[in-house]
Amino acid sequence: MGQTASEKILSRVLRREVRAGEIVFPEPDLITIHDWYAANTADMLATLGVERIRAPEKVVLVTDHEPTAVSRQAAERQKKVRAFAAKFGIERFFDVGRGGHGHIFPVEMGFVQPGMFVKAYDTHVPNFGAVGALGIPLVTEIVEVLACGSVWIKVPETVRIQLTGRVHRGLSIRDVCQRLLVDFDADRLDYAVVEFGGPALANIGIDGRFTLCNTPIENGAKSALVEPDQIVVDYLRPRVEGDLTLTKSDDDAVFRWRGDYDLGVMEPQVAAPPRPDNVVGVSTVRGIKIDHAFVGSCASSLYTDIRDAATILKGRTVSAGVRMFVTPGTQEIWARADQDGLLRILVDAGVVLTAPGCGPCAAGRIGPLAEGEVSINTGTRNDPGRLGPMKADIYLASPLTVAASAVAGEIVDPREFLP
Amino acid sequence: MSDLVYRGRAWVFGDNVALDGDIMPLEFAISRETRPEVLSAHVLKAIDPEFPNKAKPGDVIVAGRRFAQGNPHIQGFLGFRALGLGVVVESIARSSFRLAISAGVPILPACAGVTKGTATGDEVEVDFATGLFRNRTRSVKHSYQPLDRILLTMIANGGWLPSVKKRLTAMGAA
Repeated sequence: MGQTASEKILSRVLRREVRAGEIVFPEPDLITIHDWYAANTADMLATLGVERIRAPEKVVLVTDHEPTAVSRQAAERQKKVRAFAAKFGIERFFDVGRGGHGHIFPVEMGFVQPGMFVKAYDTHVPNFGAVGALGIPLVTEIVEVLACGSVWIKVPETVRIQLTGRVHRGLSIRDVCQRLLVDFDADRLDYAVVEFGGPALANIGIDGRFTLCNTPIENGAKSALVEPDQIVVDYLRPRVEGDLTLTKSDDDAVFRWRGDYDLGVMEPQVAAPPRPDNVVGVSTVRGIKIDHAFVGSCASSLYTDIRDAATILKGRTVSAGVRMFVTPGTQEIWARADQDGLLRILVDAGVVLTAPGCGPCAAGRIGPLAEGEVSINTGTRNDPGRLGPMKADIYLASPLTVAASAVAGEIVDPREFLP
Repeated sequence: MSDLVYRGRAWVFGDNVALDGDIMPLEFAISRETRPEVLSAHVLKAIDPEFPNKAKPGDVIVAGRRFAQGNPHIQGFLGFRALGLGVVVESIARSSFRLAISAGVPILPACAGVTKGTATGDEVEVDFATGLFRNRTRSVKHSYQPLDRILLTMIANGGWLPSVKKRLTAMGAA
């Protein structure tokens, strides 16, 4: 009997064959820790009396949730994170202005490879599935990984989705991902790794694959990954030294569910308050007035997302009464978007650019809402309070829909704004 | 693991009981409250205001599907532990399953149909180590899949933090 890619990855790490359902203590190949949480981690290690961490060379420490400290408290926290890096000898520390979003730049820099097992003190590490790595989030228990080398996980089952068809004009992978949350309910995804394969992958670049892997956890999946192929090899070749091993599921592996999914979603999809899976076609919510728009977050701050926003905003301006933020995910994405003239288009349209990282999506520390306001954005979640006040409505949509809505001052169908 | 046998009354709840709001007011997650004596007074009071006064150690929460759904805040499970309650559910969200282990709350996480044959107030006996669920009021018993031994040991240790302390001591790392 064959194995799924996730079973193979964990078997390699554990040096024995494991199957879905087993409780195991696998040592990750890479650990990412993010600014807000590094301070808690330092406190907890001190409580436990831990003076040395087991493998500082595996750790990538990032400043992404609040790169531009906008309060005294945030500046103090950054200071604490710097002290944490120094104390435990963490050399791969990407502070303000160095990397950008910790769920994206480690892939750009070649730290993440197909078949790797990654643990993170933050939710959206499944992003690393874009190149076929298995990323599993933790919260407080990252302390055990640092101090002891591992923490328990249950070897996950896999839901295998064969992608077919093409994304229609005026829609993006983000629309498909949002639709997927409706079509694959929490009972099917809970505790499973969502694995994407199939013929349509040939038309989805690395950027779209980040978005694909980012969203399933909003409905309870444990992680997500794309079956690595030539697109991954071509992307990583200049970034990684040595050979790449493409870990893939066997045909006779046991899957929880296996089937096709057509990318040809017919209408742009919008997640209405109060949950990311409360998804409707844009026609259902069109006309709702907005105050705030944002393109960014670990789900949608890739180069192609910035390009989609610029496609709509070229020669137009953001509506009076709407403030729009764009947060390129990383320093590299910012530089490329600048080189290609995209940032100029955004600035001319009246967009505020913010430092690479999470942008407003990280609880609205940057560019929040006021009470009673309405935002449409490409963040990961729309729970009440996500952008500050509990009484404010958040709609999630593709960069195309967000940009078009910012121009119109209300939620619109972006297909009417295509050049 | 004889301390994983719970004898008491059943408290039956439906599907989709929310971690924030239903099980514990969100304010305690936001303030990162972890004191058992504070949290125990608020467990499930949004659904039954008298619950924290009525529940006794050894009692068992019996609930439906997607128990404790929502953002992974541990305060609700710390409250269950403080009250000495066990949890038997038809299904539980992944992140909350982990919280139950971390807080040291014994749980049977996959008990299909358990809410159908049990009513609040029934006398029940649950062996969390073997998965045997006995409803003594109705003289019926069911056998469910128990947790893995590794997780049962963590619960018997009192949850995640005591288990990590043990592990560190065993490793000579602290």
